[in-house]
Amino acid sequence: MTTPASRTRTTEFEEQFTGGFRNASRVKTGIIELDEMLRGGFMGGDAVLVAGSAGSGKTTLALQYLVNGIVKFGEPGIYVTFEQMPDQIYRDAKNFGWDLRKLEQENKFRLICTSPDLLLESQGENLLDEAIKEIHPRRIVIDSLSHLEMFLPKGDLRKEAYRIVSYLKTKGMSSILIWEAGQMTNSFSVTEAGLSFLVDCIVALKPIEIESSVRKALAILKMRGSDHDKQLRQFEITPTGIKIESAFSNYEGLMSGSPRRVASEKFVELFRSASEKHK
Amino acid sequence: MNEATQLITTLLSSDVKGELLVLFHRNTGLVDTVEGVARRIGRTGLSIENDVRDLVKLGVLKTKKIGTSEVILLDRNKDREVLETVANHVKTVKGAGN
Repeated sequence: MTTPASRTRTTEFEEQFTGGFRNASRVKTGIIELDEMLRGGFMGGDAVLVAGSAGSGKTTLALQYLVNGIVKFGEPGIYVTFEQMPDQIYRDAKNFGWDLRKLEQENKFRLICTSPDLLLESQGENLLDEAIKEIHPRRIVIDSLSHLEMFLPKGDLRKEAYRIVSYLKTKGMSSILIWEAGQMTNSFSVTEAGLSFLVDCIVALKPIEIESSVRKALAILKMRGSDHDKQLRQFEITPTGIKIESAFSNYEGLMSGSPRRVASEKFVELFRSASEKHK
Repeated sequence: MNEATQLITTLLSSDVKGELLVLFHRNTGLVDTVEGVARRIGRTGLSIENDVRDLVKLGVLKTKKIGTSEVILLDRNKDREVLETVANHVKTVKGAGN
């Protein structure tokens, strides 16, 4: 007779050697539509850059990734913040129904608030070592990489970011690195800092003005070693977190900041108004 | 003066200690240098140094070496003990007053 413990071991073995390993190597965000866009989730151990302007939903996306990791997939996580104080993050998370303090008490989550220069310390004990020993995290969020730039001589960001990304990968963690882009800017300045080569995946969040209202858009700009959805998708921040909706299929020029309806849409509209006049 | 009274006297001996206690209790994951912590309560490193030392002596805060920097953080276990001592003392004082 198979005991539950041996059944678990058998299942794990089977998963690893019968193709299940491929699924296991995907790190699901737990946001169904985003995981579909990513063809199953981020690649295991990847460094993901989430870029966007202030208020675009970067922190919400990152927290949801960590909370879902803990609650849905049993993967502990660390959130490192340089700017926002933890009490603010606990409060904001609670508004989405995520009790971070409880997860901390259960040793599934750690929120570390520190100065960027301490994460950059290269000698002796690393800032994250204690938390890593305590909760054995599989996911981590660094909020934000752009904040590190202020503490580094010009041109050193790429080198230091590489060291941090390598450290996180060595420790077996899948990371989200937040990058704050300028407000309403047309590019994400990620390429200027030379970070796009360093990370394995780039998710861009962008506010877009259409017909005098601001909407939020999400796009996967890059995903090393995997196919991904190329469409620019609309998303909302709902009371339970991020909800990704349909693509902006009737518009073009959204990324450049000059959205306009595609020609076919214009034609349909003209045809409709003309036929209404003839009625 | 008993141990609990001495503890409470030290905790309440300055505004800065109060500010530090509130800061670390609300933000249990805060790990920073004296300068960094001071910035978060709108003060300078020099002006909080003595109070930090007192709280480290009490065991509420602890220090740690990260690379070349010395950081301070909340000692969660010791802090729980201190809170219990204060709570028990308040209960005793209240009881005696009734």
